[in-house]
Amino acid sequence: MTTTENSAAVFVPQTLIQSQRMLLHLFRNPMSLVQSIVYPASMLVILDIVLGRQVSAFAGHDSLHGTVPMTALLSAMLGAVAGAVTLGREWDAGILARFWVLPIHRASGLATRVTSEGVRILSTTMLITGLGLLLGFRFSGSLFSALAFVAVPLMFGIAFATAVIAASFTLGKTLLVESVSLLCSLAMFFNPGFVPLAAYPTWLQPLVENQPMSCAIEAMTALSLGEPAGASLLKAAAWSSIIFAVAVVPALRGLRRATVPR
Amino acid sequence: MTAPVRSSTTQWWVLTARTLRGAARGGEAITAIIAPIVFTVSFYVPLQKVISMFGNGVDNFGQFLMPLIVLQAIAFTAISVAFLAATDAVDGINRRFASMPIARLVPLGSRVASGMAKCVVSLTFALGCGYVIGFRFAGSITDTAMFIGFVAIIAVTLILGADVIGTASRNPEATTQSLILPQLVLGMLSSGFAPLEQFPTWVQPFVRNQPVSQFTTALRDLADGTATSASVTPALLWLLTLLVICIPLSLLLNARRS
Repeated sequence: MTTTENSAAVFVPQTLIQSQRMLLHLFRNPMSLVQSIVYPASMLVILDIVLGRQVSAFAGHDSLHGTVPMTALLSAMLGAVAGAVTLGREWDAGILARFWVLPIHRASGLATRVTSEGVRILSTTMLITGLGLLLGFRFSGSLFSALAFVAVPLMFGIAFATAVIAASFTLGKTLLVESVSLLCSLAMFFNPGFVPLAAYPTWLQPLVENQPMSCAIEAMTALSLGEPAGASLLKAAAWSSIIFAVAVVPALRGLRRATVPR
Repeated sequence: MTAPVRSSTTQWWVLTARTLRGAARGGEAITAIIAPIVFTVSFYVPLQKVISMFGNGVDNFGQFLMPLIVLQAIAFTAISVAFLAATDAVDGINRRFASMPIARLVPLGSRVASGMAKCVVSLTFALGCGYVIGFRFAGSITDTAMFIGFVAIIAVTLILGADVIGTASRNPEATTQSLILPQLVLGMLSSGFAPLEQFPTWVQPFVRNQPVSQFTTALRDLADGTATSASVTPALLWLLTLLVICIPLSLLLNARRS
């Protein structure tokens, strides 16, 4: 008996093969590796060396409770940018068009993106958290909060990656990288993980407190300190759902269009 | 009949104007303006309170941070020069120039000149940002002139170095990516960012002696009007070392016919 290209029997193995291909691309490409892991990891170490003492004194707890979540999220975000650049290149090279004419399950392309982004975000979060542990980061929450701690960047990162894919089809490669990188670096300096909220000017605090990255950081910080995190988790989930909901249709439309050679 | 050969000066000016027109039209001009602004806002606004409350020895963070803002602005410009040099190298423009009646160092001269022009724009905006956050030139006119002169020497050095890296790598994106990390490490692990005593003891020898720290020390003292030969000499020695490495490499890369 032969299985047709859209049968459920081929969906899982095909998704796995393509995910493996995407992850190999990511981890074997020195540039995307530098951008998505080396850069945020260096940032974590440098911030701990340069500002760790002062910020810990200001915050009243170890500054790593802020910088570990911040750099983990930064890693998820910059990795999404690297992924969108690769996507643009594959569109140019016609690989996406070739996949489209092969007997591959129609939904596996999308499932592949979600799976490989998920694996990428989970592994970089683990790496950054591990590095934090070496620097003296201590997790005070329960096992459940540890799971939630890892789930936040996963949720936020996938929403962000969807937005970046949507943006890459409207902005073009160069403008995308520059504008999103600028946005990421601004988000990195204006959140309560970099320095506590009280350090920002009063008029700026509402913005710093409620921007999407801040809500995710707040939730992770609360989880790692073993404090109640319900409200901030809810805010982070709300932001992620909004970003995802706005971006998902243009992203899907763009991915479909990318199956035609440029 | 052969076409008339223009003088090297005219050729240099034509090539420089070509790059500058491209920069004005594309995003590079905006980068030269935005980079110092983003850097100032990102570091001054969040850290002002933290450093002044818990950092000892810094009573005016704006005055303290200013040299680093200037250096980062120049470093960003140098990275864009490296990007341009790599693009020219990989697109074959250099090879085409080499086949034309152009003096060998004219393309290099035009890249350095257009880089310097971008530095002037970036430096202007960096100084403007500095004035907003409370930076003032406290020394004599001579000190201020020496500050500008010093920045110019640093700019030429970094541009030459960036040009060598870009021309040799022939890969615009990888060059940009690989230069951002050293810029970050040298910028943040420097006494331009926080006073030396605030760093952990084990990293202090590196922080104290690395070029960015020495450059900011010299620039800060020139801006304050307290510069002595002791505060400026290490920076000059670093610049001399870098130039001794860059100039021969640059001549080697640019003078040979590919």
